[in-house]
Amino acid sequence: MEKKKNKFLSNKVFVIFGILAILICLVAVFAPQICGDVDPTAGNLAEAIMAPSAAHRFGTDKMGRDIFARVVYGSRSSLSGTLILVAVILVVGTILGIISGYFGGWVDAVIMRIADMMIAFPGLVLAIAVAGILGPSMRNAVIAISLVSWPKYARLARSLVMKIRHTDFVAAAQVTGSKTGYMLWKYMLPNTITTLVITAATDIGSMMMELAALSFLGFGAQPPTPEWGKMLNDGRTLIQTAPWTMIYPGLAIFITVVVFNMLGDALRDILDPKTE
Amino acid sequence: MKRILALILCVLMLAALIAGCSGKDGGGSTPANPGSSDSGSNGGSNGGSKPAAEKVLNFGLEAFSDGLINPMNQTNTAWNCMRYGVGECLFKFSDSMVPEPWLAESVSSNDDFTVWTITLRDGIKFSNGDALTAGKVKEAFEWIRTEGPNGTASPQKYLPYEAEIAADDAARTITITLPKADNNLPGKLAYPAMEILNVSATTDFDYHAIGTGPYMVKEAKPRVGYTMVKNPYYYADVPYDTVNIVFLGLEAKASALQAGQVDLVENVSIPSNIALIQADSNLTYDSAPGVRTAFSWMNMMEGRPLNDKVLRQAILMAIDNETISKSNTIGGMYKAGFSVLPSNLDFGYNNLNNPYKYDLEAAKKLLTDNGYTYDGDKLMKDGAQVTLVYYSYDGRLLNEMTESHELYLNALGIKVELKESTSGDCWDQMGAGNFDLCNNNWTTVGTGDPTEYMYNWYSTAGDAINFSRYSNPEYDKLYDEYTSNFDTAARKEIMQKMQQILIDDAVAIIDGYWSSSFAYNNKTVGEAHIHTADYYWLSSEIKPAA
Repeated sequence: MEKKKNKFLSNKVFVIFGILAILICLVAVFAPQICGDVDPTAGNLAEAIMAPSAAHRFGTDKMGRDIFARVVYGSRSSLSGTLILVAVILVVGTILGIISGYFGGWVDAVIMRIADMMIAFPGLVLAIAVAGILGPSMRNAVIAISLVSWPKYARLARSLVMKIRHTDFVAAAQVTGSKTGYMLWKYMLPNTITTLVITAATDIGSMMMELAALSFLGFGAQPPTPEWGKMLNDGRTLIQTAPWTMIYPGLAIFITVVVFNMLGDALRDILDPKTE
Repeated sequence: MKRILALILCVLMLAALIAGCSGKDGGGSTPANPGSSDSGSNGGSNGGSKPAAEKVLNFGLEAFSDGLINPMNQTNTAWNCMRYGVGECLFKFSDSMVPEPWLAESVSSNDDFTVWTITLRDGIKFSNGDALTAGKVKEAFEWIRTEGPNGTASPQKYLPYEAEIAADDAARTITITLPKADNNLPGKLAYPAMEILNVSATTDFDYHAIGTGPYMVKEAKPRVGYTMVKNPYYYADVPYDTVNIVFLGLEAKASALQAGQVDLVENVSIPSNIALIQADSNLTYDSAPGVRTAFSWMNMMEGRPLNDKVLRQAILMAIDNETISKSNTIGGMYKAGFSVLPSNLDFGYNNLNNPYKYDLEAAKKLLTDNGYTYDGDKLMKDGAQVTLVYYSYDGRLLNEMTESHELYLNALGIKVELKESTSGDCWDQMGAGNFDLCNNNWTTVGTGDPTEYMYNWYSTAGDAINFSRYSNPEYDKLYDEYTSNFDTAARKEIMQKMQQILIDDAVAIIDGYWSSSFAYNNKTVGEAHIHTADYYWLSSEIKPAA
């Protein structure tokens, strides 16, 4: 345990971006304290599309809402949505993949053919179709992207399970009377989870982008909810005359995605058995 | 470190890409859409490859219904045919929406408005050289009667299928006998669905309809645009030899104009883009008060919150339309008002009384005096916060208007469930009654008269028309009176009373009155004026710069 801790702390990239990730999370948690009494959903048409000033550090949007407050509060919906999304696809994909790889036969065939169907379409296009059917909301956007993203984890988990499914230690465990549930929990899951967690960590950035993309296209968060992708879309028509309406939410997405991508990469470097 | 270098490199490449795309004059600049590239290949105003004598206009416009021009296909396609300078009607609306002779020379009717005699102008020819005769007009009306049921343009609303039409070529007269009196037949015959085409000579109505307009289709490029050429038989001077119609998206219009890819665009409806155009000395922005009203239907269905007139009244008092319309967000695209009919029309707007001027505190008091309570900032009724489902769709700043209303409704303590959807979905929800508010933008006097539009509040019109489920016997009585009274002064008075009833009953949130516009490059276009009626875009009135 001590050795593992040192391994994390000795990786400078992990430490730096870990701190930055924590800071981003803290911004989300302490948004009300950071913004004071500024309500991110309260607007004033008389102050619409105002350039950054002392009163509004990041300027105002087309409804006269404070963009600084919206960017800060936007971290809540963007981060929570992304983390829930990644957790859902990690759990669902892992469970289905392990079951598929362990049991094989028709179970494997059914799960993998469903996964193939999902992979057959471009992810975002299918997500748009699903979100379109379910109706625009952040929850439905998470559901839509989850539906098209779990196969990646399922296929990965399946291949990792298949690698060990017929090894001697698995056969020995079965011979000694281990039940199926115990086999999955104690032998299959631990042998796959590290790789899957690394994959999930590196996916946080791209999932955040996909959620923002759906919101940008109008299938995610609905006004007046502050959400970075939606804010980008709102500012799109103003890019020539009021670029601040796009720059700040764009920067927020950029910084957050970079931080979580770098953190994921560092985590992979630390945990990937190949680097040992 | 390698990762950081790679990141920096990516950012630089992205910046270079963006810089490359934004170049105005670079040889490799990307057109706004595929249509623009066609425009460029045709020379256009910027290309020096055309002979100096040839006058070319590149006109960027939004394609509705894929830009088809068959007047009997849909309402949009009928409008397209006229907007693209192909079709003309017997009558044309002036900027005060009065029908005036166009292909007709004069018109008269009997005393009870059942028999109308229209005399055609002499010397008019279709773009294929055939003369416009009374027989040709009758032929066109008969084609409308045959083809109307196959599309959704509903031409029978303008000329009943039962109408008897007689043509006298020698006298150049058309005599129309109506099954029911109608004192606004010229207005109805001015509607684009009533365009007079050379139906016996036209083989492809969707793309190559033959009309009497100043331009004719040389080449149709589906979903891209049209190449139009001068109608050699037009009865007046046609300023351009070629007009390249380029289909552009709503947001691409201003960019294409600024980049010099087109010379003229219609209805730039993004205020920030308008500001850029107005700030550019090379561009001219011309707008005219239109005949469109944007308003939010209020659903008064039994059991819905807005069934309560007090709540409706308080909502109107809580929304500051003046501030909204003057805000940077709306940018004056809407003129604030309080009646369902635009203030620029001659229906007595100035004599109307608005009892619901903006006063948030008075609105709150009205509510608390009538059984509503406040729990903090929340407006409560029967133990729950008043919540309204508000539908809207993108276009003509409706979403922006709706979000503005939401701010004001929140200030009143009302929770708004905002549904920014598509226009089709909005119609479905309104038909089904699954809404409290729904924002729309309507043409009010499509035929120069608001009869059809005001029918939207007639109690027995049905849920597919009377979306508000509004009922007021006094309004119904006045409406019946209006449709049977043909005295112009009396009709105006009745219409004024009808408007006041709708105002008093707080039937709708009036966003305001929409303005139409042209924007053009004044180095290449000398004159272009948008009309109040939204039917006349490409015409012989658009002239090149000297």
